[in-house]
Amino acid sequence: MSSQAAFRNGGPVPPVWDLVTASLADTFVRYLNHLEKIPGGQIILRYIKSSYKNDPIRSLFELALFIFACHYFLSSKKKENKADIVRFSPKEIDELCKEWEPEPLVEAIQPLEKWQLKSVPEIVGHNGAYVNLEGHNGKVTNLATLDFLNLNHNENIKNAAKATISTTGVGACGPPNFYGTQDVHVRLEEDIARYLDGEKAILYGQDFVTAGSVIPAFLKRGDLCVVDSGVNLAIQKALIVSRCDIEWYIHNDMEDLEKVLKELKPDLDKQKPIKRRFIITEGLFSNTGDIANLPKIVELKNKFKYRLFLDESLSIGILGKTGKGIVEHYNIPRTEISITIGSMATSFAASGGFCVGVNPMVHHQRIQSLAYVFSASLPPYSARVASQAIKEISILNSEGNSEVISQLKAKTQFLYEKLTKVFANSAYISIISDSSSPTIHLSLNPSFRSKLNFPLQYGNTHFLNTGKMAKKVNPFDQYHNLESYILQSIIDEVLARSNILITRSKILLEHENLPVSNPHLLINVNIGVSMEDFARLANALNEVVNSVCSSLQSEADLIRLNETLAQ
Amino acid sequence: MSGTNSKLTAFIPNAHDDDRPEEVLKDLEFGRLVSKDHLYTSGHPVGKPWPTPIDDEPPYIIYIATYISYLILILIGHVRDFFGKIFKPSEYEDLVEKDGYAPWYDGFENFYVRRLKARIDDCFARPIHGAPGRYVKCFNRVREGKTGYLYSGDTDECLNLSSYNYLGFAQSHGSCTDYALNTVDNYGASGCAPRLVAGYTDLHKQCERVISDFVGKEDVVIVSMGYGTNANFFASIADSKTLIISDELNHASIRFGIRLSGASVKVFKHNDMDDLEKLIRNQIAQGQPKTHRPWKKIIIAVEGLYSMEGNFCNLPKLVELKEKYKCYLFVDEAHSIGALGPNGGGVCDYFKVDPARVDILMGTFTKSFGATGGYIAADKSTIDRLRLNYITYAYAESVPPPVLGQIISSLSIINGSINPGEGKERLQRIAFNSRYLRLGLKKLGFIVYGADDSPVIPLLIFLPAKMPAFSRILYDMKIAVVIVSYPATPLISARARLCVSAALNKDDLDYVLQKMSEVGDLVYLKFSSGIAGGSKIPGQPPRQTIEEVLATNVEDCKKPMSG
Repeated sequence: MSSQAAFRNGGPVPPVWDLVTASLADTFVRYLNHLEKIPGGQIILRYIKSSYKNDPIRSLFELALFIFACHYFLSSKKKENKADIVRFSPKEIDELCKEWEPEPLVEAIQPLEKWQLKSVPEIVGHNGAYVNLEGHNGKVTNLATLDFLNLNHNENIKNAAKATISTTGVGACGPPNFYGTQDVHVRLEEDIARYLDGEKAILYGQDFVTAGSVIPAFLKRGDLCVVDSGVNLAIQKALIVSRCDIEWYIHNDMEDLEKVLKELKPDLDKQKPIKRRFIITEGLFSNTGDIANLPKIVELKNKFKYRLFLDESLSIGILGKTGKGIVEHYNIPRTEISITIGSMATSFAASGGFCVGVNPMVHHQRIQSLAYVFSASLPPYSARVASQAIKEISILNSEGNSEVISQLKAKTQFLYEKLTKVFANSAYISIISDSSSPTIHLSLNPSFRSKLNFPLQYGNTHFLNTGKMAKKVNPFDQYHNLESYILQSIIDEVLARSNILITRSKILLEHENLPVSNPHLLINVNIGVSMEDFARLANALNEVVNSVCSSLQSEADLIRLNETLAQ
Repeated sequence: MSGTNSKLTAFIPNAHDDDRPEEVLKDLEFGRLVSKDHLYTSGHPVGKPWPTPIDDEPPYIIYIATYISYLILILIGHVRDFFGKIFKPSEYEDLVEKDGYAPWYDGFENFYVRRLKARIDDCFARPIHGAPGRYVKCFNRVREGKTGYLYSGDTDECLNLSSYNYLGFAQSHGSCTDYALNTVDNYGASGCAPRLVAGYTDLHKQCERVISDFVGKEDVVIVSMGYGTNANFFASIADSKTLIISDELNHASIRFGIRLSGASVKVFKHNDMDDLEKLIRNQIAQGQPKTHRPWKKIIIAVEGLYSMEGNFCNLPKLVELKEKYKCYLFVDEAHSIGALGPNGGGVCDYFKVDPARVDILMGTFTKSFGATGGYIAADKSTIDRLRLNYITYAYAESVPPPVLGQIISSLSIINGSINPGEGKERLQRIAFNSRYLRLGLKKLGFIVYGADDSPVIPLLIFLPAKMPAFSRILYDMKIAVVIVSYPATPLISARARLCVSAALNKDDLDYVLQKMSEVGDLVYLKFSSGIAGGSKIPGQPPRQTIEEVLATNVEDCKKPMSG
């Protein structure tokens, strides 16, 4: 304070200094006076003057504060990792750029995987129950296609497709919101909603994107879902993108589901406002061929006030007496299911996916669902085909059941029983799918697998019971590769011996985020195939399994097999 | 087309039978060329730098008016919500908790849709029937309730500036249709199973060969949906140790795909090559966050033709940068394949860049080929890997046969192996039409964005109230256009997106220009400054009369446009 006073009174300061400060003060005051011209400037001016007179240090301090505040507000908020950034000169960056060697865009195909590329069957001409295969003489019975009802061969379906193509062309040429919606799309939406007893339906251009687009439209950060741990890859990816909280229950284990819901309840009761909660499951599980215990799930979801998301991609057009899916199978009203999604590329012999539910839910998707908004509509002929397929499925027999679905049931049952009989005492194979699933899953026996030292599960075997799935890519797994190869040998041999094409689970292990069960042999029942062929298959399969598997008795045999593959 | 049926129904009615002669119907799908003068070959001279397209700015008053408009809309929306919740609680049931269930969506998230978009809902998702070719037949409808419509069964036939139909293959007559119908007979209508299971036929093999020849890459995989092509693609080539550098205006499917892959993402300013280079250099130098280990690989993801901006990517510069810094380049040719270049080969063809220099060319069949689905083209080793680990390829349904038929036949027309000459004409018509309409609009005084040769012409509207006005008036004049605003574009720059087609002829475009000019005067849309071209005297705002425009436009549109 005292030095300030001395300074103002012209104490021991050289005259030059006086002169400089005086001229500086002059200019400063002159500029300061400009402030007067700005509205409100006078107030600021008055404040600065009085503040300076009282205590110049305070003015200085205020000025510093002001500059700091400006700097703080103007600086970008995203630079949180500034400390992490290393400063380089341009020359150093040049050096680093020159040094950097990227990895190849993709890994080259390993010799061990080469057989996979060749294992994809190439159908020559029409796909259906009986087909021609490249590299194979004579007709082949096709039990690999997902066209369970053999509608791809149906003349009405073909005529519907042709009628639409000859008035509308093939593509829709625009997204649904911009002149890409045709009358046939709207009509199919109406048809699906009516067929499934839902309020409204919405179409997607491909079945696989449906889950990935619907789930993120409703489950946001902070929302909760309780998910069956055996769900397919489409739902896994959807959950990753949605960023919601995830709890898992043991696959199809209702006690565990109840336990999880009970544990969550106290926290959720306190929640204000309530967040969206879903239970997510498939109807007929694509990975395992078993059926969700829907009555129990519905009971639990009502008790604990969850909504239910049900993926019926493999059950609509398959289960229930008129093909209305697992809901009809258990005789539960569709209104219990908040969101149903399904596929039109399987039983409906068309393409695309759909979602059914109440109007506000469906309407929300028309603006907020990415695959609906940012993609071209389903081809119009495909919509027309799906409408026709619903008509075909809805043709009832004298007992009031769908004619084609009844056939599918009968044939599934026939084959299932045949296979059960054949493999009743098999050392190598057991049936693991539900008896009503038209996709029959056959798995190598646990005892046989353990003899060969195959692991219980593949992929991300450390299962999390809460939270997000591991996002990392699974590395190549030799055992998975070998087990798949053994199954493929069986498929090839069955094809060679009896002209019947079956398939196996073709999952991409590296992208699966959940633990993966061992690969299965899959037989997709097709109603176009005769009973004799089913009987033939059961016998041929047993013989082939015995001959292929009997040569494998220990891990040493596997290692030998691996070596032959590597060459 | 209009009938007398006046009974309104809530279900979509059957369209009236069309008993006009075949020749007339053909012409309505694909118009006859009026004169050989109306052809042009698009392309960019090699070695000449690619100019950054000039985005014109409107007068400030337009910006201010736009902000005020939104302010008013938002205020009214909130006022209506406030009173509505008190007096009409039944209308807000979807937004409040009910019996212990949370609402389907948040009120705030839904505000824009409910209070802004709902006002102009009639401009979107109008159902049509028939091939969306030169003309599109739209159902008349009236609003019923909050989300429903009633249909009278009558349809309006409008000139089509809205469909993705660049080469005019949206037809239900001609070689492609015959070919597609044939595939239904010989292959059925469905793919029947995912590709790896039993959904692979000789037709798929043939189709992939035709495409790889067309795009100039060693091998190709095709999948059944364009969005799905990108949405599950990046997980196959990128992991958390990969950096993907993405243009800020990339399509939602690319952004979704990158998010799913778990890769690190950095975004560069739209089409700004200096920003991109700076970013690449810094990222190579810095390496991965925290660990500072070098990135495993860096992938640059861009689009060939940006569908909301009408801009091309600067491919020559991108290729130069990617080679200099050893990055990989992914180009999404969803809109550019077929529509650009002297041979329809997309941006590579347009810029005369060897496709081998671009690592991954992705594209769709929806836009130029009148089909659906998408492809990834790359060298053999990359595609072999994708055949083993590409999610969409392994899990989703395979491409259905009629779509394959459409792709094979349309590509064969373009490369001249079916109906020699027809493909060439289509390519030259789209090139001419694009330039003709663009220059015409510029001369009239509209602000249009994008490159001169782009078949996507965004016409800037700015004010929210002008969007429905523009769309409805033009619809009444029998012209169908698409209007877009937030979230597809920034809130402030609402626009009409005109998609030009080879199916239109010069007479159609003249009609469009005439009507646009009238609408432009009516709702005040002619406010360009002239920096993007179109002026008679350089430097002055272009405000030519429609007569002046039509008198000179054919010659003028073949000259360089800007400046």
